[in-house]
Amino acid sequence: MTKRELIEKTLAGVPTGRVAVSPLVCGAARGLVGASYKEWSTDASLCGESFVRAAELLDMDCVTLLVDLSIECAAWGQGVIFPENEAARPDYSKKIIKTPGNYAKIKRVDWKSSDRMRFYADLCGYVVKKIGVSVPVFAFVFGPLGTLSMCRGQEDLFMDMYDCPEKVKAASHEIALTLAEYAGALCDTGVDGVMLDTLFASGSIMSKEMWEDAEGGDALLIARAIREKGKKVLVHNCGKRVYFDSQIKYMNPDAISFLYPPDDCDGFDECREKYGGSVTLIGCVPPTYAVMGSDEEWSEICRSQIKSLSGGRFILSTGCEYPAGADLNRARLMVDAARRA
Amino acid sequence: MSDNQAFGVLEELSRAVMRGNAETAESLTKEAIESGLKAEVILKDGLLASMAAVGVKFKNNEVFVPEVLVAARAMNRAMAVLKPLLVGEKALSGGKVVIGTVKGDLHDIGKNLVKIMFESKGISVVDLGVSVPAERFIEAAISERASIICCSALLTSTMYEMKNVVEEAKKAGLRDKVKIMVGGAPINSDFCKEVGADYYSPDAQSAAEKAAEILGI
Repeated sequence: MTKRELIEKTLAGVPTGRVAVSPLVCGAARGLVGASYKEWSTDASLCGESFVRAAELLDMDCVTLLVDLSIECAAWGQGVIFPENEAARPDYSKKIIKTPGNYAKIKRVDWKSSDRMRFYADLCGYVVKKIGVSVPVFAFVFGPLGTLSMCRGQEDLFMDMYDCPEKVKAASHEIALTLAEYAGALCDTGVDGVMLDTLFASGSIMSKEMWEDAEGGDALLIARAIREKGKKVLVHNCGKRVYFDSQIKYMNPDAISFLYPPDDCDGFDECREKYGGSVTLIGCVPPTYAVMGSDEEWSEICRSQIKSLSGGRFILSTGCEYPAGADLNRARLMVDAARRA
Repeated sequence: MSDNQAFGVLEELSRAVMRGNAETAESLTKEAIESGLKAEVILKDGLLASMAAVGVKFKNNEVFVPEVLVAARAMNRAMAVLKPLLVGEKALSGGKVVIGTVKGDLHDIGKNLVKIMFESKGISVVDLGVSVPAERFIEAAISERASIICCSALLTSTMYEMKNVVEEAKKAGLRDKVKIMVGGAPINSDFCKEVGADYYSPDAQSAAEKAAEILGI
């Protein structure tokens, strides 16, 4: 069975007899091309080549192209800092939404006018061209509310959701319109699907009702744009007590990438029982362990996750980004654990 | 105003804080002062008690980050009215904690939530901000005579700075005098043990409860 067949069958819920595996190796791959974080975050070919080499070196069954969470916000003029050896991030000393009145500045934009979005589309195109025939490739998009938080700061955004929710929602909707078009364009690069990060749909952040009201409809809009291109919709959320039910209700994703059990499950076993038949579960090895403990302890955690979550639709992965400073050997051990399962 | 009426104002004040209504909290604090209630009583029974209740609800997943933030904002607005009437930091004498996000890490929302929960328990907090070098934690703990150092990190790339804080505390001869607490998204109890810290807390309210226990509050 080819990697493509394995992933397509896994996402479709067809038994494969194999555990698919794809550690979320992103910034950690930059060493494979000798790039600084800054170079890696701005040069699409260099970044793309690092993902290609990581996929080949680690023998991954699919690749998700997560670079950083500030790709999207730059389209609205939010300044971004590119440290040499850390992930790019918004310059919060120059937030473009300084007051609630500034939400009105956020309007739908042409994604092609954004250097960072164009960089990202080029990255997708590069990786698809190099390995897309044999290895499924998934793009990654930060959701509208998360993108808005990059322009306002999380604390202020959360308080604004109390003080002036309509202003927040209006701005978030404008972003969603842009992201829907952008996600569609990413699909046109040939990726197999788009993983949407709905970070705030989690009990560690806000109530289910608040998330559904603020972002549910916009998440639906973006998911629909992806599906209209005939591509897969994946969701990522590494918060605690994630709202699987809400995200399924609005996006009906093919897969959910997560780190902790959802809010309505006591553990991973219950999660598999409840959701493993209807949506592909991606995870949930804590990335922290990639930089601590022994190799054997890491492999045991991987085996334990396989035991808990396989049997339904499942791809073994880290529940969030594989640490950018970690040796790739642990990622390789994760792949080995899946192959031996 | 009778005693009953005065305590009625305190109850209303508590409700205003819990609902995050800053303007009402401010005006009720003024009303409570005018009614003759002591500032310490207003602080303890009106503000800190309500924030502590919010903390418990947060831990029990009954309220979430936005609710905690607006409640803290309401409490701070009321505190601004009350502060000139409080003698020194008499009412906040439950011990002192130095807190910060470790070097290289600019995330502060988790650290700020912990600070809110600490203050709701009457613990004085010295907030060192974000990207705090290990040496700075130690200098502050010494100069502020803090009993606890709290380190926050959101990134796997920065979390090992916590080990440096532990090492610096040892070098400064402080290790048996202060407790070191760690927390943040990538942190867990295994990591806490590995770096030699004393306590890991999975959420802000648990951190405050542990700190209160350490400080004997």
